[in-house]
Amino acid sequence: MSRADRVAKLLGWYPPLWRAKYGPGLAALLEDTYGKGKIPAKAQISLIKTGVAERARETGLLGDTASPLERQRAGSLLVLCGWAGFMLAGALFAKFTDNWGASTSNGDRTLVRAMYATVQWGGAAGALLVLTAALIVLPSLIRLVRSGDWTSLRRPVVQALCTGTVFVASSVGLILWAHHLSYRDRNGALVSYEIVVACWSVAVGVCVAVGTSAAVSITQRLDLSRRKVQSLSTMAMALTLSMAAILAAMITWWKIEASHAPAFMRDGIGNGFIVTSSTFPPALVVASILMMIGLAAAIAGALRVAHARRGGAGTHLGGSIS
Amino acid sequence: MVRAMATRTTSTSGGLDRPNEPSVLILTSLASGDKHGYALTQDITKFAGVTLGPGTLYGAIARLEERGLIAPTPSDDRRQPYRITSSGRAALVAALQQMRQLADEGTMRLGLRVAKSQLARRPSVVWWAR
Repeated sequence: MSRADRVAKLLGWYPPLWRAKYGPGLAALLEDTYGKGKIPAKAQISLIKTGVAERARETGLLGDTASPLERQRAGSLLVLCGWAGFMLAGALFAKFTDNWGASTSNGDRTLVRAMYATVQWGGAAGALLVLTAALIVLPSLIRLVRSGDWTSLRRPVVQALCTGTVFVASSVGLILWAHHLSYRDRNGALVSYEIVVACWSVAVGVCVAVGTSAAVSITQRLDLSRRKVQSLSTMAMALTLSMAAILAAMITWWKIEASHAPAFMRDGIGNGFIVTSSTFPPALVVASILMMIGLAAAIAGALRVAHARRGGAGTHLGGSIS
Repeated sequence: MVRAMATRTTSTSGGLDRPNEPSVLILTSLASGDKHGYALTQDITKFAGVTLGPGTLYGAIARLEERGLIAPTPSDDRRQPYRITSSGRAALVAALQQMRQLADEGTMRLGLRVAKSQLARRPSVVWWAR
């Protein structure tokens, strides 16, 4: 790779508009500073870090140069990204707790059932919020498509449609196959089935990631009214609350079941693959990590929304650079 | 003194590390004349002992330009020079006054003497005594 290519690759971290304006000057600075020698790793990291920050600024996630409405929109989209993590974690939790009610003893199950119901209802509420948000932006999307000015959206839309089609087709195939297998084969006896399920799980992850990315790209480009953006950001804050409730309920459920139903926890999916544990089953560990990351993103997004609504804008000279 | 303060990197020191802010350093450098990226880094290293990374420098330049505190000057070269604007000059003056007030306050609280004669003329000028 030539030096020019390396510099171009580093500048690729910056948003196109920024690159067009400051790219030549920055490239000249690199040339003046490092000559024909290698750009030190520290400088490369500095460039990547600020490139990512510039992209975040452009979308309204950082800084106060974007309008409060743009910041609200960016915060809401960050919450949506957090929700994507919850969808994956929720699927994992649902699979892990398959047959949970039938496999565990009755006894006093009020709290644990309430926690399980909270996870389910929280998930349903979240899905409903996301669906409502999609319906709110739909007219704007239709308007954009009708205007013919949607070439920039073609790529993410096509990607999302392709992965969605692959996902649906693989799901139908997997369901049809599973229908012909015994309970034992579906629960660890048939290795080929386990491998296909693992591949399908990866496909689910890719599908959710691509779908979310497409939703973010589309929503960023849509012309939304103030009222719509405010409705979306209100829903994003509600979604964050439901995510917090889901995580709290799942962890409480986990804690109770680990002490009262260790056999069920030990037999759950994921156990025996790398480690076996009734206290920390790998599937629940992964699900909780995904949820924590998702919730952290959602809280950051909700705070961004709240700050933008207050109209907060740091104008201090010293605080303007990060 | 600027050099000593500029080497502070912790953000826990509140306003004490403000002189280390790239924006302040760039404005200070441009106060003595127009400069492009490389000339800015060289000058800042010289007067403040701080070497700004290329990403940090251009990130700060972009922010300052957005706020109208600096502006590009016409140039055919890809080395784009920048100049400080009147708003930038005013912002720098305000930032320097704030730093000076902080320095005076710190000096006073440490029990170091402030020259009364100098205070009468320029309230924020201090001299250090053991």
